[in-house]
Amino acid sequence: MPTLLRVELAKLLRAKSFYLSFAALSGFVALMLWGFYTYAARKTGGAAVEQFRYTYESKQYFNGLTFALYSTLFAFTLLLPIFVAATAGAQVAGEARAGTLRVICSRPVSRVSILAAKFLVSGAHTFLLLAFFIALNLAAGLVFVGWGDLELYPGPLNLVDEPGRIARADALWRFGYAALTGTWALLVLAALATFFSVVSDTPVVAIVSALALYLALYVVGRVEFFEHLRPYFFTHDMDFWRDVFKPDVPWQSLWHRAFRCGAYTTGLLLASAVVFDRKDITT
Amino acid sequence: MWGKITLAALFALMICGAVRFAPGGEGGRAEDSPGAAALRLMTWNVGYADLEPDTRAQTKDLPAVAETILQHAPDAVALQELTGEAQLRALLGLLGGRYRGAVAQKGRSDRYEAVLVKDAGARFTEVAAGGRYALAATFRAGGSEIVFVSAHADAFSAARRRAYTEAVAEWSRSRAGAARVFVAGDFNFELRAANETNLYTDDLKHDGESYSLLLTHFSDLGRGAGDTAVNDRRIDYVFGPRERARPRRAEVLRGAAVGRMDHWPLLVEVAL
Repeated sequence: MPTLLRVELAKLLRAKSFYLSFAALSGFVALMLWGFYTYAARKTGGAAVEQFRYTYESKQYFNGLTFALYSTLFAFTLLLPIFVAATAGAQVAGEARAGTLRVICSRPVSRVSILAAKFLVSGAHTFLLLAFFIALNLAAGLVFVGWGDLELYPGPLNLVDEPGRIARADALWRFGYAALTGTWALLVLAALATFFSVVSDTPVVAIVSALALYLALYVVGRVEFFEHLRPYFFTHDMDFWRDVFKPDVPWQSLWHRAFRCGAYTTGLLLASAVVFDRKDITT
Repeated sequence: MWGKITLAALFALMICGAVRFAPGGEGGRAEDSPGAAALRLMTWNVGYADLEPDTRAQTKDLPAVAETILQHAPDAVALQELTGEAQLRALLGLLGGRYRGAVAQKGRSDRYEAVLVKDAGARFTEVAAGGRYALAATFRAGGSEIVFVSAHADAFSAARRRAYTEAVAEWSRSRAGAARVFVAGDFNFELRAANETNLYTDDLKHDGESYSLLLTHFSDLGRGAGDTAVNDRRIDYVFGPRERARPRRAEVLRGAAVGRMDHWPLLVEVAL
């Protein structure tokens, strides 16, 4: 298994898409910085503190931690899933497309081990992406906006029902926790992409299928017509990762949805393993 | 084989974990503090849903409104969307002289806010707010002076809601030193973390600011009572002093709406 992991890791590090994902996230942070400043300038004539005078009476509201929180929450929903699905969806189907899957499977290791190694590498990539993105946002926030306590208000982001505050040191820990909970949530999508990667012989089909299902459920889950179906969508449970940013973390709900995400992930991996084990590889 | 067994075991473990941490039902909503004097307040937008040509209150519904008020006997009632003084007089008549009341000026809107109070010595004051008028009643209950405001913020513009809320909150805050101030009504903002909308919009920001401004000075006494309007919306509120009014009961009277009313009355009881 360690050898398999080393091989898969080497493949990941050699792929241009690996570095492209970090470059794209860096570009998004620059875009967020631009958006943050121009929004405040447009709305307030440059007096951002004045704009936030009521909800955000504290002059510390508009700070680097707030910036990092907004940026992370926005990217998590629609940007990070693309890279996670791209990496995981290409794991098996990419080998099939390149004609190397048969060779890999002819080695004296079980197919489930191969699949596990590929998924673990996808998981590592997911964690690196999220940790890098959060760290970059915090650094950009510190340099360009300045730090203070993390203040949360009802409304945008829908994180809290009443105003709350997290002290700076605690908030930094919360971002650390978010790297872990966010990775755990995104593993559901990685497992879904892995499943499609096993079923399909072309990585594009696997990636698009996983993203299409994710986006379809995400969008449908936001439409009130389907409000009663929402709890049955994995996208609903994936949202648990944000709970670490609530002043009083709802631990029971967090664990409940984290375990549900784990069930989706392991269930999809089990299905992938069964299909992959029986797959007739002709390429 | 062992790989698949391990995955199956992990899958079972995750299912068990999800079941183990499954959230229970909602806890009790009432905080009881027996012995203290109680103040019972109600707010009700008695207008109709947008399906009707005239969405203001209908005179034919007033007997049902009066029946609900008499059944729950609140010390004060904030009403929204009356058509004017005539409806108020009709309602006061149906209440058999148990309440005094007044309506605010019409302002920019085509409907009126009103307050009904049991205390015969109640005084009524109009509150100008963003081109509209809220109405405040000052009366005594449980040995304390109470100011109770009936408010109705714009349904269609978050910016106008914010301007209105700022004016009402500022007026109410300025009275908070001399009396216990309660602000009730249909604010038309809905801010629930459970809504899952996590994209930033100006409307959400305005509504967030309106609600947060009120929470800076007041408690949201009806928070635990649930939706107050159709389509699962909680847009009717009773805000009260943070320190000087302990909530005992908050309930949405879901059987009270008649005709095509799209709101239910929110009843709040606090210990003074």
